[in-house]
Amino acid sequence: MRIRMQYLIAVQSWCGALLGTLLATSACGIDQPYPGPYVENEDMLMVLMPHSPEQIAAFYEARGFPKAALDLISKACFVTVHIENKSQRVIWMETATWHLSSDKQPLQRLGKDHWDTRWNKIDLPQANRATFGWTQLPVQRDLQPEEPVGRNIVLDGTIRKFNLEARFLTGRDKRGGMLEVRFQDIDCPKEAPRQ
Amino acid sequence: MKTTFIVSLSLCLLAMTAAMAVAESLPAGIMRSNGIPAPALQLDNLDGEAYDLEASQGHWRFVHFWASWCGPCRKEMPGIERMVSALGDSPLEIVLVNTAETEDEVFTFLGIVAPDLLPLMDTDGQVTEAWQPRGLPATYLVDPSGHIQYQALGGREWEKPAYLEFLRGLGIPESQSD
Repeated sequence: MRIRMQYLIAVQSWCGALLGTLLATSACGIDQPYPGPYVENEDMLMVLMPHSPEQIAAFYEARGFPKAALDLISKACFVTVHIENKSQRVIWMETATWHLSSDKQPLQRLGKDHWDTRWNKIDLPQANRATFGWTQLPVQRDLQPEEPVGRNIVLDGTIRKFNLEARFLTGRDKRGGMLEVRFQDIDCPKEAPRQ
Repeated sequence: MKTTFIVSLSLCLLAMTAAMAVAESLPAGIMRSNGIPAPALQLDNLDGEAYDLEASQGHWRFVHFWASWCGPCRKEMPGIERMVSALGDSPLEIVLVNTAETEDEVFTFLGIVAPDLLPLMDTDGQVTEAWQPRGLPATYLVDPSGHIQYQALGGREWEKPAYLEFLRGLGIPESQSD
């Protein structure tokens, strides 16, 4: 199988880093078209939008989540991930193959099992669980041509910055080559951005 | 023998071309499903009236899952109301399912963006879960025998001519749809 590797890099303090790579697709803070660090080329768009504890708690509070759930949510780092397949082939999003790290240490996504355990402990109502579930990025998705997906990944709230390396196989049979996207030094905001 | 083979081959190619033409005529973001039976859908609407998808067989159904907190759903809903209006007395049945929100949330949202729509209330999200949509919003087109024949990827501009023409054509034999 011939694998076409394509590296794209986005960093939050990206201007200096971008000078070193010709394949990077990003912007340097001027006329930023998306509300967070992003990678875009002819195949796909991927945007990360980290939220402060206040922002994310406000979202779920408005959906009627109880205080016990909001306390747990506020302690974690929520990042909305938007991915859009801009190509005419299938792009496979498989988050189990993504590599998350912080301070050179591997970082785990806080997934369904993590939250189910906590929701059971506080006896979170089923409606809240359903809403929470639909706001989480699925573990796997065969993104069809022009199909977007945009939901959250959740990380340990004690980290200040993280890196993400995501690989995407392409083609209906996953034999169409690989796309690789890297985000570096992405902030987990601890406070809401100042207006 | 040779003539028969050539005629058969021509017919076969013609059929394949016709099939491809039909496949290519789908509006953007509409994907064929493999005709699996639609999961159960028994819910009350916002007025408390019971609905059962199985009991409404005999015509096509547009089954749409949404929530007011979902950005693409908010953007899409006014277009769905315009679609319903444009389809007029079409036999296509519109089935809107709100996922895991309260009556107040739904009433407040729809009252502003699409006051003529009356959704079903999946108050605990379990019906939505059973349908396993790819995300919200999600739309399925269920045929008169209760099988899912198409699904839409994400939010769509349903009020646009391409989608209206497609929806009006559901159930019309291909020989009559030209």
